Amino acid sequence: MIGERPFAATVAMLLLLLLVGVFLLAPLAVVAAASLSAGGFLVFPPQGLSLRWYADVWGDPRYVQAAWTSLGLALITVAIAVPLGTAAALSLRRPGALPLRGLWEFLFLSPLVLPAVVLAIGLLILASNLAGGPSKAALVAGHVVIALPYVVRTVTAVLAGVDPATDDAARVMGASAWQRLFMVTLPQAKAGIAAGAVLAFIVSFDDAVLVLFLRSPTLETIPLRIYAGLEFSPDPGVAAVSTCLILLAAVAVGVTDRLLGGKQVVG
Amino acid sequence: MNRSDRTEAALLAAPGVLLLGAVFVLPIAGVLAYGFFRDGVPSLAALDWTSWSRLFADDYYLGLAARTLRLGLIVTLAALLIGYPLAIAIDAAPRRWRTWLVLALLLPLMTSVVVRSFGWLVILGRNGPIVQWLRELELVDRRFQLAYTETGIAIAMVQVLLPYMVLTLLGVIGQIDRRLLEAARAMGAGWWTALARVTLPLSWPGVVGGSVLVFAVTVGSFITPVLIGGLKLPVLASGIYASAISENDWPMAAVQSVALFAVVLIVLLPYALVTRPARGGVAR
Repeated sequence: MIGERPFAATVAMLLLLLLVGVFLLAPLAVVAAASLSAGGFLVFPPQGLSLRWYADVWGDPRYVQAAWTSLGLALITVAIAVPLGTAAALSLRRPGALPLRGLWEFLFLSPLVLPAVVLAIGLLILASNLAGGPSKAALVAGHVVIALPYVVRTVTAVLAGVDPATDDAARVMGASAWQRLFMVTLPQAKAGIAAGAVLAFIVSFDDAVLVLFLRSPTLETIPLRIYAGLEFSPDPGVAAVSTCLILLAAVAVGVTDRLLGGKQVVG
Repeated sequence: MNRSDRTEAALLAAPGVLLLGAVFVLPIAGVLAYGFFRDGVPSLAALDWTSWSRLFADDYYLGLAARTLRLGLIVTLAALLIGYPLAIAIDAAPRRWRTWLVLALLLPLMTSVVVRSFGWLVILGRNGPIVQWLRELELVDRRFQLAYTETGIAIAMVQVLLPYMVLTLLGVIGQIDRRLLEAARAMGAGWWTALARVTLPLSWPGVVGGSVLVFAVTVGSFITPVLIGGLKLPVLASGIYASAISENDWPMAAVQSVALFAVVLIVLLPYALVTRPARGGVAR
């Protein structure tokens, strides 16, 4: 803010930042603290300190199996959502090139705000009619839908900082459409594509809503195991797995921040 | 703009549009069809309002809708009241701090909602720090807890949604021309006056955009209300789950979905029409 700011306003701002910081991070800190408990019950503050629950979870085949399932789902989601989302972002790049551009943009971004439960029910009905029950394919489809907007946004954000004239220059110098795509545009969008991949991975890996509707007895993911643990009586093992998800989120936030350099794509 | 540009753009958009058509628009249309037609077959003969009359005749469903709306409004208002000053503070912070503050907003946003609800369940529960503290001050009795109350759901939801609000506001506030504030100050406006008469009106698109986003996500959320509220405080999203999965009653699940959809669209559509030319800044 320009000019002298009243001292009272500065103090109020600092206080607010502190309070909200505690409010936002408290639930994460509590889970991380509870996971370090040496005791058998989930309490805060933890009784004694140990990493035994991490070892416990690491040795539990159900958690390990769920981790592999989550990882597989997330990787398939990334593999489908990233190329589609990148292409979608490129198609929206030049105003006027795409008829009804606003409609397509709304379509690509609307999974962010429309309730996932409705999508989940719809996919369940579709899967039941086509395949006789929930299937992994329906779940992958759902994850691609909710991950797509993030890829569209990150790629759009990065390309917004690029001069579109470079594309025209390549064209004038005789580059074909494919050459321009692979030698000019995609390298320019590289950071956005990478950040989109990270976000798509996290969106799929963290999802508990779609998987809850579309699960089958043989399909269990990490968030689903945490959810099931919370419905009954969670032990510190659930907190240990949750802490791993927090660390994963921290890595994702750090990496996307590096890639995008402060461009906002969420919110 | 020549023809090859158009072909190129259409070819690039096509895969995404086709995919979303098949596994986003079509399933949602299917849900809507189940809400109005027997077995989801859209024909006049199959037109069926029985699920709707059940919805409107039953206090249970009306209660779900009322709680969903109430939570949506409370959470949106709270997120705005906390989020606006917060966005101003983050915007005013030195550049170095700013990066860290934004990262502190993004970390909870990127953490699985299951994990965040877990944290709140511990904090708000009977043995959690807040309740123990209130009990030591003898403000509440031994049975008091915030988990499994609507207040508890609202507290947890505000934490989940606050980053959306603040990031949207920051995108708009960050784009305000600083020279306008300098001009206001040069002409004798105090800091508070400049905030109220320059920043606030110019950040209005952010206020509207952030509120719409928070409201839409709140009324549609499932995990936090279910885990914090438990079985006794269902919202529309958990009602949909109960009808579809526990009772296998698809028409009822569909009708509740339509109701939820209607709630979101009523807020979203005017917003989309109003903000079309402005394009709400970076964070849209």
